[in-house]
Amino acid sequence: MNFHKSWIVARREYWVNFRSPGFLFMAFVFPLMILGLMFFVTQFLIKRESNTDNFKKVGYVDYAGIIQRDVEAPKGYFVLDVPEVDSEAYIEQQLEDHKVDAVFVIAANYTLTGQVDLYSQKSIPEALKEDFDTFLSDNLVAQGSNLKVPSDRLVEPFDPVFRTLDSDKRQSEAALIGRFLLPTIFVFVFFIATSTTSQFMMGGVVEEKENRLMEILASSVRPIELLMGKLLGLSGLAFTQITFWLMTGAVIALTTEQGRDFFSGAEFQVGDIVLMIILFILDFILMAAIMLAIGAAVTAESESRQAAGFIGLVAVLPLAANALFFTNPNGPIPILMSFFPMTSPVAIIMRIGLTSVPAWQIAISMVFLVATTVGVVWLAAVVFRLGMLMYGKVLTPRLLWQALRENQSTPVVKVLPE
Amino acid sequence: MSTASTSSTLENAIFVQDITKRYGDFTAVDHVHFEVKRGEIFSLLGPNGAGKTTIIRMILDILRPDDGQIQVLGGVLTDATKDRVGYLPEERGLYKNVKVLEMLVYLGQLKGMSAHDARLRAVDLLEHLGLSDNVKSKISQLSKGMQQKVQFIATILHKPELLIIDEPFSGLDPVNTQLIQDLLYEMKAEGVTIVMSTHQMHQVEEMADRLLMINKGQRVLYGPVKEVRQTYAQNAVIVEGEGNWATVPGVKEVQAGRNGHEAKLMLAPGFKPDDVMQILASRQDYAVRRFELAVPSLNEIFIQVVGGNGSRAEARFADVRAAD
Repeated sequence: MNFHKSWIVARREYWVNFRSPGFLFMAFVFPLMILGLMFFVTQFLIKRESNTDNFKKVGYVDYAGIIQRDVEAPKGYFVLDVPEVDSEAYIEQQLEDHKVDAVFVIAANYTLTGQVDLYSQKSIPEALKEDFDTFLSDNLVAQGSNLKVPSDRLVEPFDPVFRTLDSDKRQSEAALIGRFLLPTIFVFVFFIATSTTSQFMMGGVVEEKENRLMEILASSVRPIELLMGKLLGLSGLAFTQITFWLMTGAVIALTTEQGRDFFSGAEFQVGDIVLMIILFILDFILMAAIMLAIGAAVTAESESRQAAGFIGLVAVLPLAANALFFTNPNGPIPILMSFFPMTSPVAIIMRIGLTSVPAWQIAISMVFLVATTVGVVWLAAVVFRLGMLMYGKVLTPRLLWQALRENQSTPVVKVLPE
Repeated sequence: MSTASTSSTLENAIFVQDITKRYGDFTAVDHVHFEVKRGEIFSLLGPNGAGKTTIIRMILDILRPDDGQIQVLGGVLTDATKDRVGYLPEERGLYKNVKVLEMLVYLGQLKGMSAHDARLRAVDLLEHLGLSDNVKSKISQLSKGMQQKVQFIATILHKPELLIIDEPFSGLDPVNTQLIQDLLYEMKAEGVTIVMSTHQMHQVEEMADRLLMINKGQRVLYGPVKEVRQTYAQNAVIVEGEGNWATVPGVKEVQAGRNGHEAKLMLAPGFKPDDVMQILASRQDYAVRRFELAVPSLNEIFIQVVGGNGSRAEARFADVRAAD
C-alpha cells in the first residue's frame, strides 16, 4: 500500500470539503447562529425577568402578621384589604378590574411553611419576586427574636443544596445541570460532526461515480489507498469541526461564573476523555465506512440520501431515548444500546456523564464496536471495489452476496460499459 | 522466464497471454492473446459489448482476469508501473466544482508527480491546447469540448510511456480532433506506445500501425492494418473516367461506385489488376483519370467480420499470413 498516495487523497478530501459551503455553514455559521440565538434569548429573558414596569400597583395581604409598619415597602406596594369571605374571588376581581397588577398573600402559617401565594394575570418577572422576598426578609429580621426561625435562614429563605448520589459531593444547581447536560451536548456535537463528514464521504464517492471519475482514479491508486485517504481526510475534518465547536463553547462558557460552574459538574477523568476519543474515532470510521459503501453501491445522490437517513436514525436512537438514560442510565435499554455497535459510542458517552459505567460493559462494547468496525471497513472496501465501476446500476445486497460467495472481483452483471 | 519471453517482454509494451474474464455464466473475454509493441499505435476494435473495455481494465489491473497473464512495460503491473501509464477511459468525467489547474495538479500527484512539476506541466499543456485562459476556471464552466481536452491533458500530464485511450476523439470538433491527433503523433515520435480503442475506423486506418478486433469476447482480427486490409481485398479495381467498362477484357461485372463517378470492376478468375491496367492504357476509347485496387475500408471489414462469422475471419487472416 502506498501511504503517500493515501496522504494526497486525504489532503484533497480535507481541503476541498473544508472549503465547501456545506461544511463552512455547519462548522462555523451554525454554531454562531446557535450562540447568537442563545444570546438574544438570554437578553430577552434577562430583560423580561428584571423589568417590573408592568407592576406599578402590587397589593399584599398579611394573614401571618409579619409585615411591620416601620419597614418601608417597595414603591407601589400597598396593603390590600380583603373580605374574610370569598377573599380569592375578590382578589381576582381586583386584578380583572386592573385595580391591582399583582397580589402577594402571606399565609397564616407562613413561619412554619413559608407559603406565599401570588396572584396575577401577567407573567411574573423574577425581579418582582425578589423585591417581595427582600421586603419579606426585612420584615422578618425586624421582628428579631420574636420569631422562632434563624435569621440567616430568613435573609436567604431558599438556599437549595443538591448532592450527587454516588459521591455525596455538594454541587451547585448549575454544576448539577452541567453534569447531566455536558455529555448530551458532547454527544450532540459528536453526532453532528460524524454525520456531516461521513455524508461528505458518501457525497464524494457518489460524485466520483456519477461523474465517471472513479475509473481514472482507479488507474492511479488502489481502492484501499483511496478509501484510507478519504477516511483520513474526512476524520481530520470532523475533528476540526468538533474542536472548533467545543473550544468556542468552552471559551464562551468559561468567561461567565455560571459557565464555569456548569463545566465543573462534568467530572470526566483522563480515562473517560481517552475513552471518548477512541469511541469517537471508531464511530466515525464505522459511520464513514457505511456511508462509503452506500455511496459506492448506489447510482445517484438522491438514492444515497435515503439510505443515509435510515443509518442516521439508528445512530441517533440514544439521543431520542435520552429520557430513559436520565431516569435510569443502568436500565436494560441504555445497556443494550451500549452493546449495539451503531449506538454504543453515543450511549456510552451519555452514560459516563450520568453514572459509573461498569468496566465489563465498556469492554464488551469496545469488543463489539472494534469487531464491527473492522468488518464494515472490509465490507465497504469490497463494495467500493465492486460498485465503483457499476455506472447506472445499483449494487444490490443479492449481487454483493453472490460476488462474495464466488469470490469474484466483479459481480455477476452484464452491464459493465463497453 | 525464458529467454524468448524475456526478449518479448522487452520488445513489447503490453503482453497479453490467453486471458479470460467471466461474469457468472457470461464470458466477456475468451482466451484472448496479443502483444503491443513499444512505440507503435495499436488499435483495439470491436462492436459495443465485445469486451474491449474489460480487456483495458484488466491491463490496468482494475479488473483481474480469471485465466491468463498480462505484462505491462516489462512485468506485472505494479504501483510504480501505474505511474508510467496514462489512461483515458471511455466513461470519463471530472470534478465539476474544482478549478482546472487544481484538479490537474491533484491527478498529476496521484501519478507520482510533485505538485510543482504537475503545475508547470499542466500550465504548459493547457497553453498548448488553447486553454490558457481557463486555468482558473471551474470545470463546470467549460464547454464539453474543453472538458474533453482537459481530460486528455490529465491523461498525458505525467509523460506516460504507455497511453491507453478509449474513444479519444468522441465529443471533439474537427479542429480539436486534429489537435489531439497531432499531439498523439508527437508522442509517438517520442517513443510513447499508444493503445487506442475507437469506433472511428478512418482514424484507425490513418493512425494505427496494428490492430486487434474482438467480437463477443474473442479475437477475430489481429495484425498490421495494411495487411488486414490487403487480406480482405477483392479481385477488383476502382476506376474513374470514360468508356464502356463492361467490354474490357477480363472484367466479369461492373458495380456502380460510391460517389456516382467511379466504377468497381470485378475481375474474372485468371486476370490481375495489372492486366486490366495494361489493356486500358493501350486503348484509345477509354479515358482513365483514376485507377486503384479495390481494397476495402476497415469499416467494410468491420461490418463484414462482425456481421458474419468472426472466428472464420480470424482463421482466414491467419491462413493468409501463414501463406505469406
